[in-house]
Amino acid sequence: MSMSLATDFRKDVVRLGAGDLTACMNCGSCTATCALSEGTAAFPRKTIRYLQIGAKGQIEGSLEPWLCYYCGDCSVSCPREANPGETMMAARRWLTARYDWTGLSRWMYRSHWVELGALLAVAAVVLALFLIPSGFGFRALSSHPEALDTVRLDLFASRTFVHIGDLILAFVLSTLLLSNAARMVYLAMRGRRVPIRAWIRPVTEFVVHGLTQRRWRDCDNDDSRFNWLRHILLVSGYGTMFVLVVVFLNPFQVEDTAWHWTSLLGYYATLVLLAASFTILSDRIRKRTQMHAFSHFTDWLFPILLALTSLTGIVLHLLRLMDLAMPTYVAYVIHLCVAVPMLAVEVPFGKWAHLLYRPLAMYLEAVRKRAAAEA
Amino acid sequence: MTETKRRVGVYVCHCGGNISDVIDVQKVVDGVANIEDVVVARREMFMCSDPGQNLIAEDIAAHNLDRVVVAACSPSLHEATFRGTLKRSGLNPYLYEHVNIREQASWCHKDDPEGGTRKATRLVAAGIAKARNLVPLDPVRVPVTRAVAVVGGGIAGLRSAIDLAKSSFEVHVIERAADLGGHLARPGRVYPTDEPAQDLLTGLLAQARSLPGLTLHTETELVASTGYLGNFRLTLQGPSGEPRELTVGSIVLATGFEHYQPSLGELGFGMSDRVVTLPDFIERLDPRGPTGGQIVKDGKPVQRVVFIHCVGSRQLEGVHVPPEGGRLYEHCSRVCCTTALFASIELARKFPQVDIFDVYQDIRTYGRGQEDIYEAAARAGVTFFRVAGDAPPTVEIDASGAITVRLVDLLTFNEPIEMPVDLVVLVTGMIPRDITPLIEMFKLPRSPDGFLQEVHPKLRPVEVCVDGLFIAGACQAPMDVAEAAASASAASAKAACLLGGDVISLDPFVASIQAELCDGCGLCLAECVYVKALTRAEGETVPVVNTALCKGCGMCAAVCPHEAITVRGWEIKQYDAMVDAIVATGGHP
Repeated sequence: MSMSLATDFRKDVVRLGAGDLTACMNCGSCTATCALSEGTAAFPRKTIRYLQIGAKGQIEGSLEPWLCYYCGDCSVSCPREANPGETMMAARRWLTARYDWTGLSRWMYRSHWVELGALLAVAAVVLALFLIPSGFGFRALSSHPEALDTVRLDLFASRTFVHIGDLILAFVLSTLLLSNAARMVYLAMRGRRVPIRAWIRPVTEFVVHGLTQRRWRDCDNDDSRFNWLRHILLVSGYGTMFVLVVVFLNPFQVEDTAWHWTSLLGYYATLVLLAASFTILSDRIRKRTQMHAFSHFTDWLFPILLALTSLTGIVLHLLRLMDLAMPTYVAYVIHLCVAVPMLAVEVPFGKWAHLLYRPLAMYLEAVRKRAAAEA
Repeated sequence: MTETKRRVGVYVCHCGGNISDVIDVQKVVDGVANIEDVVVARREMFMCSDPGQNLIAEDIAAHNLDRVVVAACSPSLHEATFRGTLKRSGLNPYLYEHVNIREQASWCHKDDPEGGTRKATRLVAAGIAKARNLVPLDPVRVPVTRAVAVVGGGIAGLRSAIDLAKSSFEVHVIERAADLGGHLARPGRVYPTDEPAQDLLTGLLAQARSLPGLTLHTETELVASTGYLGNFRLTLQGPSGEPRELTVGSIVLATGFEHYQPSLGELGFGMSDRVVTLPDFIERLDPRGPTGGQIVKDGKPVQRVVFIHCVGSRQLEGVHVPPEGGRLYEHCSRVCCTTALFASIELARKFPQVDIFDVYQDIRTYGRGQEDIYEAAARAGVTFFRVAGDAPPTVEIDASGAITVRLVDLLTFNEPIEMPVDLVVLVTGMIPRDITPLIEMFKLPRSPDGFLQEVHPKLRPVEVCVDGLFIAGACQAPMDVAEAAASASAASAKAACLLGGDVISLDPFVASIQAELCDGCGLCLAECVYVKALTRAEGETVPVVNTALCKGCGMCAAVCPHEAITVRGWEIKQYDAMVDAIVATGGHP
C-alpha cells in the first residue's frame, strides 16, 4: 500500500494547534528523549512525520497520540523548536474530531465561537426547562407559596424530574461517546486479524489505566509526577460528583443538613475540583511546565467550566444553608446552566472524551501486541 | 671516488622529539662523524630554528665548509630553508643535501628504535656521499611577458581578468560564445545574496570594460599554443576567420562546467513539458525568463511541485545507466542542494498555495549561511523525503499526462510514498565541460571525475602540473558563484606572482647533455614526455634541452646508453656514490 499525501490534512492539524510541522527535520531527538518510547519504536517521531507529510490514513488509525502523556521533554529538546509535544496534543484533538460521527466536534475544535455557541445553546435549553413548564421550576413556585419562605428544592425542582433528566442526559451522552469510541476501535483495528482471545485478556489494561493513568507515571520528570497526582485527585473528585448526581441524587439533594454523608463527599469533590481547576488555570497562565506552555482555547474552556461548576455549586450550597429561598433557586439554575452544557459539549465532542479514549487506546495497543504475538 | 677534498658539515635534528624519541641521534652523529670529508657532525633540537641555522652559518665561516647535509624532516618542508642558509652564508645553495630521517626512519620504525637508528645512519651516510659529489648550480632563468590569457568569460574568467588588469597586467579574455557571462547570463537569482545573476554580471562587465589593458575577445577560440612559462605564443581564431597571434606569460583556464542533461525518459525527462531541469526551472521563476515568472499547468498555476535531487550526480554503477558512449557521474555536485532549496523558497514566496516536495539523498548545504537556507526552505513549507542512493524515485506519466512520483522514504520508516504532482524539477548536477582540444594542447591532467586537476588540493590548489597555467572556477570542480570567484582571484594572484618580475627563476634540476658523449641515437627524444622540452634541429646530432620546459623527470637519462644526458642535481655518479655509502655503512654495532 502506498501512502498518499494530504496536505490539507496537515493544515487542518496546524489549525488545531500543532507545533511547527515545517520546522521538523526528522532528527529524532524527540524519540531519543521520550521516556515512554520503547525499543526501536519511533515514538513520537512517527506521528510527527505522518502529520508532516499529511499521511491522514496513517494517523486516523493510530493510537500513538493517546499513548503520549505530554511530559514535554520532546518539546524542550527539539533543536528546531518544532514543539512535538503540542503536536501530539493537536493530534489528539484531531482524532477526537475524527471519531465523532456527528461532525460537531470538528466544528467546535476549529472555532471557539461555535463551541461557545453550543455551550450557550445548551444553557438556554436548561434555562427554558425552568422557565416554561408549569409543574417545574419557577412556574411551580406559584402553586407552592411555602417554598418562597423556606428552601424547598424538591418543590422547585422535583428530584424525580431532575433524576429523569440526569438519566436522559447520561444516556444521550454515553451513546454519543460510545458510538465515537466504536469508530475509534474500527479505525484502529480495521484490516487486522485479531483472534477472540486477544480481545479478552487485555481488558485489565483498560481498567487499570482508566483508574490510575499509570502510564503517565513513567514520564520521567517531577512536573509530570505532580501533574499526574493532581490529575488523579481531579478524577476522584469528578467521579465522586458523577456518582452523587447520577446514582445518589435523592440523598444528595437533601435539604436540611450540611453533615449528611453525601454532603461530606460533595465537599471533598468540590474542594478537589476547585483546587485542581484553579491551579491548572494558574499553571496555564504562568506557563509553568512545558505541558502548559501552549493553550488551545479548549484547554482553557474545560478548567474554566469546571471551576465555574464548583463555584456555583458552593454558592448554591451556602445559600441553601442560609435558607434564602429565591436566591437558592436562582443559584440552582445557574449551576445547572454551567454544569449541563459542560457535560453535553465536553463529554462526547471535547477534551473530556479522553477519559474513555486513553484507556481504550492502551487496551487496543495491548490487543494489537497480543494479536501480533499470536500470529 | 671523489678526487677533490670536500669539507662537509653534517647536522642531525631532534625535531623536538619527533625524531629523537625513536632515533638515537647521538649514535647517528657518531656513526657518520668519521666518514671521509666530514669536518663537523652535530645534533640540535631544532635545526630549522634560528639557533640551528646560525649554527650552520657559524660552522661554514669557522670551518670553511663547502657542503652541508641536514638530516631532519621531509625536504618538502625545510629543504628551501637550508638552501637559504647556505646562500646567506655565501655558498651556492645547491651544495646542500637534505636527508629525511623523520618520515623515513623515526615515524615508520617506532617499534624498532635500534633498527631505525641504523637506517638513519645509513641514510645520512648516503646523503654525505651525494653531497661530496654535488656541484654548484644556477637556477634556470626565463624571461617574462607581462600578459595573461584568460580562457573563458564566465564569472571566474571575468573575476580573474579584472584582478589581473587591476594589477596592471595586459589581459586577454578569450570567450568562445558571442556573449560574456556564461551561466551567469541566464535569468535567475543567486544565493546567498539573493540578487539577479544578470545584475552581478552587468557589474562585472562594466568593471572589465573600464579597465585599460583588458581586452574581451568574444566568438574567439584558442586553437594553438607554443612556447612555455613566461612566453606562450597563442593562436586565436576569431569571428573574422583570420587567425591571430598573441604572446602571454601565463594562462588562466576558466572554462567552466556544463549542466547535466538527463537522457530521454530518465525520471520522465523529455516525456512531459512538466518535467524540467533545475536551471530551466530557475529561468522560468524569473520575471525576465521565458514564462515571465509564471509556473503553470494547463494555463493554471501549478499546485504541487517536486524537486528530485542528485540527477546526474552521485550515480552508481548498476543503478544508473550512462548514455551511449557516456559515463557515470559519481561525484557530488555540491552546489545543487542549496540552489534547489533557494529556488524552492522563491517558489513558495511567489506562489504560497503550492505544495513543495523535496526528494533527496543527503542535504549538503555546506557553505556559510547555507544551513539557514535549508531551514528556511523547511519553514517555507517544503516537505522533505529521503531516498537511498541505490533506490532513486520513479516518475510515471500516464496517457492523460498526469505525473506520479513514487519512492521509498527513509524518513517515513521505509514506507512507499506516492505523490501525484504537477511539475517535476530535476536537480541536475554540474559535469565537466568538453575541452578536449585544450586538454590535448597543454596535456592537462584530469581527475577521475573528469574535471581539471590541481597539483595539490591544499598546497597548490589553483596550479596544474603545466608551469604557467592556472585553473579558475568550475573547470576544476563543481563550485558556486562565490567559490568560483574566490578560486579565480586565487588563480590571478598566482599568475601575478609568477609574472611580477622580469624573469622567472626555476629549479636547476633539468637535463643537460655532454655533447662529446652523445652519438645521436635519439633514444632520449623518443622517451621525453614533455612537449618541446627536448628537441633536435634538422641535420643536427645532439639534441637540445629547453630548460624552461624540462621537468627533470630523468626518463632521458635512464635510456641514454652513454650517460651523455643526465639530470643536474640527480646525476648517476651521485646515485652510485649513495649506493656505495649505504652498502659500506653497516650502521654502528
